[in-house]
Amino acid sequence: MIRSVSSSVSWPRLALIAAVLAFAIVLPLGLDPRGYAIRILCLALLFGAMAQAWNIVGGLANQMSLGHAAFFGIGAYTSTLLLVHVGLSPWLGLIAGSLLGGVAAFAISLPTMRLKGHYFALATLAFGEVMRVIGNSWGGLTGGPVGISVPFSQPSLAMFQFKETRPYYWIMLAALVLVTLVFVAIQRSRLGYRLRAIKENVDAAEVIGVDTTRTKIIAAVISGALTAALGTFYAQFQYFFDPDTVFGVASVSVRIAMIAIVGGIGTWIGPILGALFIIPMEELANQVFSAEAAGLSQLVFGALLVVVILVEPRGFVAMGSRLKRRFAGRASS
Amino acid sequence: MALIQAILDGLMIGGVYAVISIGLTLVFGVMGIVNFAQAEFLMLGMFVAYYAWAWLGLDPLLAAPLAFVVVFILGAAMQRLLIRRVLKAPDVAQIFLTVGLLIVLENAALLMFGSGFRSVSTPYQTASLKIGQLFISVPYLLAFVMSVASGLALWLFMRASWFGKAMRATAQDPMAARLMGIDADRMHMLAFGLGVGLTAFGGAVILPYLTASPTVGGQFVVLMFTVVVLGGLGSVAGAVAGGLAVGIIQSVSALAFPIQLQNLVLFVVFIGVLAFRPEGLLGGSK
Repeated sequence: MIRSVSSSVSWPRLALIAAVLAFAIVLPLGLDPRGYAIRILCLALLFGAMAQAWNIVGGLANQMSLGHAAFFGIGAYTSTLLLVHVGLSPWLGLIAGSLLGGVAAFAISLPTMRLKGHYFALATLAFGEVMRVIGNSWGGLTGGPVGISVPFSQPSLAMFQFKETRPYYWIMLAALVLVTLVFVAIQRSRLGYRLRAIKENVDAAEVIGVDTTRTKIIAAVISGALTAALGTFYAQFQYFFDPDTVFGVASVSVRIAMIAIVGGIGTWIGPILGALFIIPMEELANQVFSAEAAGLSQLVFGALLVVVILVEPRGFVAMGSRLKRRFAGRASS
Repeated sequence: MALIQAILDGLMIGGVYAVISIGLTLVFGVMGIVNFAQAEFLMLGMFVAYYAWAWLGLDPLLAAPLAFVVVFILGAAMQRLLIRRVLKAPDVAQIFLTVGLLIVLENAALLMFGSGFRSVSTPYQTASLKIGQLFISVPYLLAFVMSVASGLALWLFMRASWFGKAMRATAQDPMAARLMGIDADRMHMLAFGLGVGLTAFGGAVILPYLTASPTVGGQFVVLMFTVVVLGGLGSVAGAVAGGLAVGIIQSVSALAFPIQLQNLVLFVVFIGVLAFRPEGLLGGSK
């Protein structure tokens, strides 16, 4: 079942990727720079990047984390608090946040690394909730349930603040590309092979000499640090957040896992496809139904998750290859 | 004295925690599924009881069996239509199907009932008994008694009825049970219906002292998992012990910490137990 990874690069495919990327780069030039569409795209790129970071543990090692909101919120709060209290540039705050996110991932990995399946999901869910409770109750630091605002300064790249949405778009795009490159690099490295061995059979991996503990911790730390970095992006983009949003189970933890699952878990393109589908769809549902029915868009979101799981838990990527096979079969018959 | 009072209070809420969590452990024991949406069925039970009170003037304690029946039917249907399809699927499908169900149920409730908080008024709402220097709140006591009664009813059902025996046989060895002529699919449906129905029953009996809202499940999710993990996932007796333990931990820690941090204590216990004894404090090494 393990596909040979090194053979998956082909020139036509690379050319296609380059073309899509070029299109993605020039796309905002054709959009209203302060419009709604470009904001949605920014969020889709950001959540795609988060799902990609989740994919490192969720996809490669098959560890179903339901607690990635913990790292995301740590990143958002670290850079914002450093900006508020010390006036530190969010870029430096981002580095501090990723370090803390990595440390948090390490700390939660130690007690949970031996857990599998449901148990791992439960433990990570609780960890996210711990962070949410701390965020809400440590009001002196975080502002508590009221939330926290990012102070405005002179718009500049150095302060990660802009008047228009376009620069955010390019930064989010760069983030998505970077995290995707990290994912692919891991997938093709020795670490990736070890992670896949763990996914296939933990005990067998142990037997052939994989240090499964170390491998899982390394993957979790990378994933946690990246997710924390993206928390800073979110804070600088939204300018306001509260503990229930950034540490939320449904708003972050489940959403990013769902994006990866709907797109195609364990593949580099899955989280990107999933994000480009889910985030705009959610926004659309919000817009169409917002006034009269709070909850309807979330209902659609949940129902979609159920449907995708029942139809094809391996997501769009698997559906695509199934369709391709069907058409190929029909053509040859 | 304060400590004894706290332990007593803890026992009262712990009995309820035990009953709302039994379903989670029962379903896991019989079909190996962890239902992340379990707490949403508690919320549904609260709403059934609320409307029975608002429309029919029925006391929530009397509406509890009604909540059980309504949610039992809903649960059995969901098992048939959805859960059954992922029984042999990978973890990712099992986990995220019920997580999706959680989101659907919570938001369907939001649409149907609105986001407001609803509470009932009963004649015994503020009453309390005084025994020596100890106080027992009447609504808590009644909820506890009802919970114990429903727990006993389940225990009798599992011990004495054919269905109960068949269900336990299915849990132990689905293949052998099938060979003995037990319809495992039906047993799974029954177990799921019973499991969520019992949770709804618990939701109804706490309505006299807790307000219902579509998001109330969120308060109970980690709590219920802590209860079943403490007692060993899959063990009904463990859920009872776990429920009482969690109730006592919660009310004793209230003596030392502000209210928000009580949950934190609970989470730490939860992660600690998962990490060091995932089979539960009472469970044997499996």
